[in-house]
Amino acid sequence: MRRFVSLTLASVGVLAWLAPANGAEKVLKPASQRFAKEDVEEVPSFQRHILPLMGRLGCNGRACHGSFQGQGGFRLSLFGYDFKADHEALLKGDKPRVDLEDPESSLMISKPTLLQPHKGGQRLQPGTWQYNVFVRWIEAGAKSVEEADPKFVRLDVTPTEIVFKKKGQTVQVKAVVHWSDGTVEDVTPLCRYRSNDEAVASINETGLVTALDKGDTHVVAFYDNGVSPIPTMMPVSDKVGPNYPDVPTPTKVDQLVINKLKKVGIVPSELSADFEFLRRVSLDMTGTLPTPEAVETFLADKSADKRTKKVEDLLASPAYAAWWTNKFCDWTGNNRGQLRINGGNNNNVNARASEHWYQWIYKRVADNVPYDQIVAGIAVASSRKPDQSYEDYCTEMTSYYRKEDPADFTTRDSMPYFWARQNVRMPEDKALAFAYTFLGVHLQCAQCHKHPFDQWTKDDFDSFKAFFADIDYRQRPEDAKAAKAMQDALGLVRDPKQTNNDFQKLVTAAMDGGKVVPWQEVFIKASSNGARGKTDKGNRKQQSGRVITPKLLGGDEVLTKEYPDPRTALMDWMRDENNAYFSRAIVNRVWSNYFGVGITEPADDQNLANPPSNAELLDYLATEFVAHKFDLKWLHREIVSSRTYQLSWKTNPTNRLDGRNFSHALIRRLPAELTWDAVRYATASADEMLAMLEKPFEKRAIGVSGADIPRPNQGNTDINYILTTFGKPARATNCDCERSDEPSLLQTVFLRNDRTMLETVERPGAWLTVVAKQVGEKIDGTPLPTKSEAEAKGRSNEKRTVEEIARNEKQIKQLQKAGKDEAAAKLQEKVDAAKTEIAEAKAVAEQAAKAEAEANDKKDEAKKIAVHPDAPKYIREVYLRTVSRPPTDEEAQRAYHYLEDSSSNITGLRDLLWAMLNTKEFIVNH
Amino acid sequence: MSKHQYCDGYSRRDVLRVGALGAAGLSLPSYLQLKAAGAVNETKTKSAIFINLGGGPTHMDTFDLKPDAPEEYRGEFKTIKTNVDGVEISELLPKLAQCADKFTVMRGVSHSLAAHELGTKYMNTGNRPLPSLTFPGYGAVVSKEVKNPPKDLPMFVAIPNTPQTAGFLGIEHAPLSTNASPELGKPFQVRGIALGRGLTVADVDRRQNLLSDLDNAFAGFESDNELLTGLDRFSDQAHEIVTSSRSREAFDVNQEKPEVVARFKHDTSNPRDSQFGMSCLLATRLVTAGVRFVTVNFGGWDMHQNVGQALKGKLPQLDAGLAGLFNTLADNGQLESTAVFVTGEFGRTPKINARAGRDHWPRAMFVLLGGGGIKGGQVLGASDDKGQGPANEGYSPDDIAASFYHALGIDFTKEYHSAIGRPITVVRNGKLIKELFA
Repeated sequence: MRRFVSLTLASVGVLAWLAPANGAEKVLKPASQRFAKEDVEEVPSFQRHILPLMGRLGCNGRACHGSFQGQGGFRLSLFGYDFKADHEALLKGDKPRVDLEDPESSLMISKPTLLQPHKGGQRLQPGTWQYNVFVRWIEAGAKSVEEADPKFVRLDVTPTEIVFKKKGQTVQVKAVVHWSDGTVEDVTPLCRYRSNDEAVASINETGLVTALDKGDTHVVAFYDNGVSPIPTMMPVSDKVGPNYPDVPTPTKVDQLVINKLKKVGIVPSELSADFEFLRRVSLDMTGTLPTPEAVETFLADKSADKRTKKVEDLLASPAYAAWWTNKFCDWTGNNRGQLRINGGNNNNVNARASEHWYQWIYKRVADNVPYDQIVAGIAVASSRKPDQSYEDYCTEMTSYYRKEDPADFTTRDSMPYFWARQNVRMPEDKALAFAYTFLGVHLQCAQCHKHPFDQWTKDDFDSFKAFFADIDYRQRPEDAKAAKAMQDALGLVRDPKQTNNDFQKLVTAAMDGGKVVPWQEVFIKASSNGARGKTDKGNRKQQSGRVITPKLLGGDEVLTKEYPDPRTALMDWMRDENNAYFSRAIVNRVWSNYFGVGITEPADDQNLANPPSNAELLDYLATEFVAHKFDLKWLHREIVSSRTYQLSWKTNPTNRLDGRNFSHALIRRLPAELTWDAVRYATASADEMLAMLEKPFEKRAIGVSGADIPRPNQGNTDINYILTTFGKPARATNCDCERSDEPSLLQTVFLRNDRTMLETVERPGAWLTVVAKQVGEKIDGTPLPTKSEAEAKGRSNEKRTVEEIARNEKQIKQLQKAGKDEAAAKLQEKVDAAKTEIAEAKAVAEQAAKAEAEANDKKDEAKKIAVHPDAPKYIREVYLRTVSRPPTDEEAQRAYHYLEDSSSNITGLRDLLWAMLNTKEFIVNH
Repeated sequence: MSKHQYCDGYSRRDVLRVGALGAAGLSLPSYLQLKAAGAVNETKTKSAIFINLGGGPTHMDTFDLKPDAPEEYRGEFKTIKTNVDGVEISELLPKLAQCADKFTVMRGVSHSLAAHELGTKYMNTGNRPLPSLTFPGYGAVVSKEVKNPPKDLPMFVAIPNTPQTAGFLGIEHAPLSTNASPELGKPFQVRGIALGRGLTVADVDRRQNLLSDLDNAFAGFESDNELLTGLDRFSDQAHEIVTSSRSREAFDVNQEKPEVVARFKHDTSNPRDSQFGMSCLLATRLVTAGVRFVTVNFGGWDMHQNVGQALKGKLPQLDAGLAGLFNTLADNGQLESTAVFVTGEFGRTPKINARAGRDHWPRAMFVLLGGGGIKGGQVLGASDDKGQGPANEGYSPDDIAASFYHALGIDFTKEYHSAIGRPITVVRNGKLIKELFA
């Protein structure tokens, strides 16, 4: 276990047993005892006592003096970690809050005690230890924090786990802080406390935890920079200890999950049925429904290891690579709308770059390149190879973009476009994006103030940001001449009357034709302020805080002169087996895909106050993932091979309300891309299905076309509308939450009645058209058009078509004159086809007239149709296609009766297919 | 949707609890205090229509002409008088000139985002765009704030689409996009709402019965599961929308009386010229039916070259559609209950460029606001003598947003939480423009 402990986690005492036993050292009694009497001699410290106490009293909260506008002319840093500013706010300004001459008259005393009016009400009682702490600090000169003062080391909180037996039980928490000078103090009365679920347990300001209800959560203690969560639970049933039933735990994952379930009295569900497992794993792993044949084969297979074999098949399929590439594109923010290739807003080029982005990752996921190597190719990407000349670089790039026989972009060692987005121009944006994408950490809060729940301070953010200060995407100034020469050589000179967009189109056209045009690039700037290369402490001081040393999150300062590219220092740090974030972020995201909930949830929000629901499980997977050299397929296999993954969604009384301990499968709506792919797939002919299976990257929403992100104000094509409606992320903000798997009214309206949806069911080449042929019916299934409708339609079609023919015939003559015989011949074909169409339309109209007459004759006859003898087979197939199982007898019968009452076999089957696509069973993964 | 903890130290549960207490415990004095601060507006306004003029229409040739500026600035068009003394607008807008008493012209509106996408986001959300967060559009906020929405109508409709997204409010508040604009004299069908492909209500009912019979895989487990409950609820609602006549009739502009259609029609023989007018007609019909927020997108204003020529084609369309909108709402007695907001993403360069066009210019632009208790027949704000920037302080998009929400009875200082738990007020930096409501 010890090696799982990262620098960061250890430093805040999640694992309190690492510290020497409390008895072995001198622990200062809590301030509440030491300052109980007025005449105390000890001088409280600004950092250790005053600020924590002010935090507890709520002074620096957002609604109070922590507001960015301050409150009543007095402003503190939000959540307090800006010692200098806070100290100045108290002692300086027009109305100092501290009166060194007459401490008890200080505003910071008289206001919260309501001796003077205070909008925030009474916060402090005279005569209390808190009062004494403040007064004593002022009496002693109200000193600030000095550079040489001891630093915070860690916060140890005991007990390290609380398991309640019944409601109303209480446990007192004790918090002890360690400082770098060896001082150890009991800070139980100085901490802020919070319960992560106040329905389960509450914690009051003295650190007393009370059991409120069954369930499990964490209570958290905050002090200075320390954040310590304590797992707190009360079993939901009497199935604990010796009462716990014998549950199989075939894998390590299962053991770790059951360990937790045992504590909380939750019994897992039964193993899922074969058909459920097959549908679930196919969707989760490959984003694809199983084919009807695959369902039948799997259900018929009697071998014991068929689930394992299936997993191997799926891992080897192109759809696995496509679906997980799609995920990678989410995390890395592949969005052509944000790309600014060569600085321009040229959709055509940006769209191609976005495809390259997808393809580059796809190749590596398919080849199972280790995760850290994929990340390195993105995170540390530079456009130009070392020693590559600008001309050679431009030649290389143009070769990927020329229309004819483009070179293979995926053979490049690195994929630099992560850095070519307009939303990561500034170093702070790069820092936020990097932390989100590769570390699963949200630093937004710390950009402006101390993170309220995590250890990150604004200083931490600024030091992390320093890694990205010199990374740039543009044309290097020294290449301007060469670039101009390149354009001149091609005769590309911008006419002042031309808009830049129009000019860029010309450049793109030249590039399309294979002419070498200038390219921008990702590169490391020569450091502007000379910061890099001399970032030792002495220099830092000398430059009075203007230069900030890059500092790894929760880690060490980095002397970047050892790194020509500061990002490589980050990459080394991330690859280290002790890194607390890198492997956990990906492991947790992959897990979250399979279970609908992360071990840490939200999956991209690793912070100390948001601990994993099962820390041992996350540690195990992360450590083994590193030990397996970041082998992604190992990770997938390890997760889905567990019995835990294969549990049924059907709950029992003990796990009915569990949503975070993996005691049963969670029912989830299909993600946007999978929804649309599944609709198309379930309605596809066998040939189409095969194409979608073999070339998922071309034919599917999870494929490269999915790289084209819907942007609402850039036209609203069908696919964009659909994917947006179902919650595909725009990949424009740093959050996994941008993807939505929630249901909505528009989604249901779409599935019910949208034109595109209805057309898809019976599109040319759809399964239904194949069936129509087999049963000898027309595809539209609707009653033949009435005479008047058909005539009207015929007339309007005819008029339009006749006009078109006339137009085309004129054009043919012109083409022939111009000697473009080939084009003329092509157009002639169209004209002939149109003429045939008119003839056919007339025939249809006649037929309709006849049918209408017949229908009128038969009006009173019984409505039941002759059901085709193969109907049961088709009904079965509809079920296999949509919900990946055969129908029950009852369902098959209901469907059969529906067919009997329909106007034709096809209409009936179409409605059945429609109905099944609209069931909850179809739209969810279960 | 947010499962994250909040930046300000509240968990979501806390917020819910505070909210519940707040509703019950808001004392009269504190309510009055809020009201005085402009945060609460007792309003009759029920709905809003938002016209987005994509591309950025010139202010110099439309609502903020500078007849005394040098030729290279003022352009080729003259002003005309309106039915309000002292208010003059472009000669290409005669119909709007006759109903200028129904809206306020805002001049000297100003911001600094000269790119289409950013400017559009700013004007459609009332918040300066941030890379780390997607603000919800006006329609999404309105959709979220509707109490007891009717079952058989969507609350937020976009004709044919809109840059306004649900942002961090979640896709539940996304617009229904018609994806097409209605055309004069043609039946109009909206995706998902119209019964297409020969279906009748009876067919749909029959299918629905089949669906209810077959959709029982989770029978008995629904009540424990929010997703399943939600899917069932939306299923009922979708069926209502598809089978009730209310939505379908509202969308079918073809059912409108010819004399009403005539008001929105542009007097040319080309029906396409009336597409914007028909969209405005559709917007009024939807509002009448009970839809709360309708956007109309009318693009093509990015006139980098030959601006005069382009405006001669474009402005009469705008004139017909907007005048039809204001007049019809007024005649139906709906102008008081419907706020109207007309804007592009920015204005255009005051000085005409070498291609006889005007380029992007966010420092000065115009906005029209009317209805919903907003005073009509006035001009607020001004640009300087060459139309280059606000003459005085000017108005920010945020101020206009605050005022627009105020007209809709929505507290613009209300706080939402983004998905990562960051507290965000509806309008982050705006203040109420009191003159709009005098």
